[in-house]
Amino acid sequence: MRELAPQVLGTLVRRSGQFDAAEDAVQEAVLAAARQWPAEGTPDNPRSWLLTVASRRLVDQQRSETARRRREESAANLELPLKSETVSRDDTLTLLFLCCHPSLSAPSQLALTLRAVGGLTTAEIARAFLVPEATMAQRISRAKERIRSAGATFAMPPPDERHERLRVVMHVLYLVFNEGYAASSGPDLNRGDLTIEAIRLARMLRQLVPEEGEAAGLLALMLLTDARRAARSTADGSIVPLEDQRRNLWNKDQIREGVALLTQTLGKVPVGPYQLQAAIAAVHDEAPSAEETDWSQILALYEVLERVSPGPVVTLNRAVAVAMVNGPLAGLAVLGTLDGDERMAHNHRLEAVRAHLLERAGELGAARESYRKAARMTASIPEQRYLALKAARLA
Amino acid sequence: MKYMIMTFGSAEAGLAAMGREWMLEMIEFMHRLDKDLRESGELVDEHGLADGSQAKTVRFQNGIPVPTDGPFAESKESLVGYWIVDVENEERAIEIASRIVAFVKNPIEVRRVMDAPPDF
Repeated sequence: MRELAPQVLGTLVRRSGQFDAAEDAVQEAVLAAARQWPAEGTPDNPRSWLLTVASRRLVDQQRSETARRRREESAANLELPLKSETVSRDDTLTLLFLCCHPSLSAPSQLALTLRAVGGLTTAEIARAFLVPEATMAQRISRAKERIRSAGATFAMPPPDERHERLRVVMHVLYLVFNEGYAASSGPDLNRGDLTIEAIRLARMLRQLVPEEGEAAGLLALMLLTDARRAARSTADGSIVPLEDQRRNLWNKDQIREGVALLTQTLGKVPVGPYQLQAAIAAVHDEAPSAEETDWSQILALYEVLERVSPGPVVTLNRAVAVAMVNGPLAGLAVLGTLDGDERMAHNHRLEAVRAHLLERAGELGAARESYRKAARMTASIPEQRYLALKAARLA
Repeated sequence: MKYMIMTFGSAEAGLAAMGREWMLEMIEFMHRLDKDLRESGELVDEHGLADGSQAKTVRFQNGIPVPTDGPFAESKESLVGYWIVDVENEERAIEIASRIVAFVKNPIEVRRVMDAPPDF
């Protein structure tokens, strides 16, 4: 049903020209299906069913509008025979671009994408982000208003904007994936679902823009990162760092698929940050043990990443690789170049990496202090516990 | 990201000091703020707490829990109410808090809720 929702929405928006109202109508149809199909059985043509119900809702809603002529025109449009409708691949892509419109804040882009393109219900999205349903409903409603007042239409962005807009879409999907990564405390199955949802949408995107290497890179990165999920935390939600993970728990199918995606695109299209990050993840995932990890290759990849997409986080990760190849002091020297960087001033990761390297260099007192500082700065409970424990072990 | 915005002090003392006019304005202000935060899709939770004089404090003394009447902290430092908002960044949380402090006058605390995903 989730796959059908954006297809139905695309069709309805095309016909009615009203993204806002059409999106509400499709959401209502999705909710109706969720209620009726388990009891009455899935219809023979689910897509038709959804389209019919959504169209009716939309017409009903428009009947209460004051502009009579507009009503009649739209109603006539909506009553066109449904059978001849073909699924337009471009419609879903257009929807994605619309939901990730630059006039929206990131939380709004995420919420709207998950609903309009992901086909999730408002309640599901609210649960995933741990906010009340009313809050999420308002956020989505406001997002659609913003899109309308920004003058956005249901059409592909102009060619000169497309690349940048696509980058935003991929960033939004990456944020959804990252949110799902938080599922480590309590019965948070819904947050784990976000990861699955992100992968599904990334697959969809790849099919929509097969010529884009970065879309393949994004999907590969998600698969190669998610492959490690079962080994990343213990039953009580404690973090297991990469070097300590039981690799037999890693998902080999996802690793295989991720590597295959990279092999298809690397070297054939201009290389981008997602492909490079995926390549780094692939080196980790293909190592039979932590000790056998090819850190030289990882370091080389970070050096390329730093040229393609420079930034303090990349430098930080490169420092870790430098330490693995040339020793902790060399890694600490790289960290030193970040100390003056404003962007890292409130980032706990710099301290966490520093603590790790100081510990490896035998500077236990300084390491303990850095672990404690990082523990105070992080906003993640599992991470705070992990860092505090590391500090306590050095006491 | 989620932030908790906290107000401290004694509601009762505030009322006594400021009078009826201020009280009515405060009710109107809180009502408007609540409406705005709901409409913007940022409100997650909000509650006022009973006056500190109605609180109990439970201490661990000589190996046993001992409840006593009264709040843990001095009246002006005692938590009196909070909002939890889901906002795009810290700047927005501070913006909301700024709106509150302009009315409440006592210092407001803004603190991130630990909701971030781990980096590992």
